[in-house]
Amino acid sequence: MTFVNAPAASRGTRFTGTGFTGTRGEMFRLAFKTALFTLLTLGLYRFWAKTRLRRYYWSAVQPCGVPLEYAGQGVEKLLGFLIAVVFLAFYIGIVNLVLMFASFALFQGNVTAYALSFIGILPLYFFATYRARRYVLARTRWRGIRFGLEAGAWRYAARALMHWAITICTLGLLWPRMTFYLEKFRTDRTTFGSHRLCQTGRWQMLFPLWLNVILPVGIGAGLIWAMITRDLPASAAVLVVVMVLWMLWGMLHYKVQSKRLLANAKELRLQTGEAVGLIAKPRTGRVLGIYLGGYALIYMIFGAVFGVIGGMVFASGLTLDGWVTPQSGGIAQGLAVSLGAVLYFGVFLFWISLTQVFVTLPLWRHYAQTLEITGVRALGGIHQAARDEALEAGGFAEALDLGAAI
Amino acid sequence: MTGGPWDLPPPDAPAQPALPIGMFCDGRTAALREVTLVLIEDSPASLLMREVATPVARSEGTSPADAAGQAAFSMEWPLAQLRRLPDQAGNSDPDDIGHHPTLVLTCTSAPLARLVVHHRGAIATILARAPALDARLPLRGKGRIAAWACAAVAAVALIIFGLVPLMANQLAAFLPPEGEKALGDKTYAQIRTAFGDEFFPLPECSDPAGLAAFQSMTERLVAQAEVPLDITFTVLDSDIVNAFALPGGRIVVFSGLIYESESADEVAAVIAHEIGHVVHRDPTRAALRTAGSFGVLGLLFGDFAGGSVVLMLANQVVEARYSQEAEAQADAFAHALLPKVGVSPAELAKLFEYLRDEYGEDSGIVKHFSSHPELGDRIAQARAAQAANPVPIQPLLSPSQEDAFFGICDEYGADDMPGGAFLRRIDDFFDED
Repeated sequence: MTFVNAPAASRGTRFTGTGFTGTRGEMFRLAFKTALFTLLTLGLYRFWAKTRLRRYYWSAVQPCGVPLEYAGQGVEKLLGFLIAVVFLAFYIGIVNLVLMFASFALFQGNVTAYALSFIGILPLYFFATYRARRYVLARTRWRGIRFGLEAGAWRYAARALMHWAITICTLGLLWPRMTFYLEKFRTDRTTFGSHRLCQTGRWQMLFPLWLNVILPVGIGAGLIWAMITRDLPASAAVLVVVMVLWMLWGMLHYKVQSKRLLANAKELRLQTGEAVGLIAKPRTGRVLGIYLGGYALIYMIFGAVFGVIGGMVFASGLTLDGWVTPQSGGIAQGLAVSLGAVLYFGVFLFWISLTQVFVTLPLWRHYAQTLEITGVRALGGIHQAARDEALEAGGFAEALDLGAAI
Repeated sequence: MTGGPWDLPPPDAPAQPALPIGMFCDGRTAALREVTLVLIEDSPASLLMREVATPVARSEGTSPADAAGQAAFSMEWPLAQLRRLPDQAGNSDPDDIGHHPTLVLTCTSAPLARLVVHHRGAIATILARAPALDARLPLRGKGRIAAWACAAVAAVALIIFGLVPLMANQLAAFLPPEGEKALGDKTYAQIRTAFGDEFFPLPECSDPAGLAAFQSMTERLVAQAEVPLDITFTVLDSDIVNAFALPGGRIVVFSGLIYESESADEVAAVIAHEIGHVVHRDPTRAALRTAGSFGVLGLLFGDFAGGSVVLMLANQVVEARYSQEAEAQADAFAHALLPKVGVSPAELAKLFEYLRDEYGEDSGIVKHFSSHPELGDRIAQARAAQAANPVPIQPLLSPSQEDAFFGICDEYGADDMPGGAFLRRIDDFFDED
């Protein structure tokens, strides 16, 4: 008996593109189920929910036909969270209290407290994002080989603060420089098995992309200034709107295409001189389409559902009128309250699952399907790396609510 | 004994060109081997993987196969030891293998090795035959998790019940009056927003005659008490049966309390108790404590259903559970103050009893005033205070003033949105019973 091979397998190891096998139906079931458990456990299940979604997304991305693997465990995330709580509880409790006191005692308001609290938490924020990335990479495998990220979270935080200071001092002009050097810091410490990745390229390669943000901001600011001082016709406001739209598009374009340029300049070099690299070709238009189309679809679904519910309530309200007497008011109110609760949590559950289905999943699919790997044949020379416990499992980021998406 | 639907040649048959239907990684190097799969029906039944010689496989760094195509590499995994990775795209259901079927297997004896199968028939057979695909590994490090969980609980408890109250008590003494006032105003605004309708804060009741009656009541109380700061008294229109004090000397009575009381004197008794809290600066300590503990609680719960934590905050302030000692002090303050204005301390007891009978021990105000299960004691104490120091009872308000007082929420303050008042009227219409 001879079998015809499945398409992905028939392409075998010659296939250097990246397949994506996630489906909307499976994702909806998984996202809805895990969100429901999260709700029913007062948030405790969120560690498992995120882990299960990650496992699904990772497995759906199949470079050269071989799926990525997310080997994280929900219970690890719970542990990491508990560890973070032990440390952060002191920080958040005591610092918040002292800041609140100081800000009311000295400034009669709490704005100062929030501002100081934000500045105080910034180093921790960068520290937490680096540690979270370390955990995710330590639990990511491909072809059975572990990825990893070397230690350096506090150095990363210091570096990030420095780059932010430079960026702010140059009015955002040097943003691409920050993007590049922070990505280089992370990539140069990223490992695949026994080998390190390397971020090549220069920060200047990102600068042309950034022009799509600074040009409209500059021109728009000039226009507004001219309108105020030179008595420009009001129709110039249309140009300002055009500049705003250009800037918004430019920001998305920068986000997508800087990722592309940075990915293309990453490489993994073996002792033999062979190198493994990436060719990414994400399209800004497609990403924009996914965002706009996805959210438009979700709002349409909600609109339709609420239209139907509203219609039903309106129709039954005519008959309700008869029995909403002062005596039955309590019952009707109780009914309304429980209906309201069901509606609130229903909206929450469907919002979470539908954004996964119509926005997150299509984005992953697009980024996956436009990714190609070069130099695959060199991969045989890469050996396994030891397990990185990464004990706190992104717990700080979790506790500070940073990794809201996946 | 061999079998299975996709066994191309039996293992001992002369070599035929075999189609690769699996990809194997041994977990030691990133090399990928294309393998054929054969089901061996021995006992125990197992899955045999044999590498297929392909030019690509050779160039990928593995060294299989001589020219005859005989696999240099083979591996046998007992079916009972096969495990599949959970939550993978494309292999959710044996009856409904997706469009891009993928099954990723590992073996308990080689936990880092992976076998990737895209072949539909092979996947269906493995799903049907392997007995323990979804068996979980035993949970490792239970002790460590328990230890950290205990540490986390201990840390949070230490912060919320130890360090934060301690610091709040110390710092409250150093908060200057303007700061205290600002803190109270901020909290007051937050409470009005949190308990109001979606768009409108809770309205302040301001019927002129009612306000005048309320003012004469509070003025008489304050005149007899030694209060170190000016106290602002406000009535907010809400069904909640409660009253509370805020930092900086603001005392708020919800109209629900007024409607549930039988006489103005009962409300006066509650206000006397709240003045006691203001004199002892309990609200300031509570507000600082909330500032410290709220962030910690938010940390624990995360934002699991969006914004629900905010309500918790407001609730916590209103139902601020002062310490048993603070409640006793406020009670004692009220017992001393009330006779001076001709009100029996037993009025406090009457209201407690009525509310306990009406709402049970667990409702908001009963909890607020009782904090601890000694409500009976406190009722008895109030009665005892009255008995020990019998005073001529003189209603605080005249009958006409009392009527006006109960109508204090017939009109709202100028700063309340007319729409809010209108919506509230509609609510009231439906709430009446």
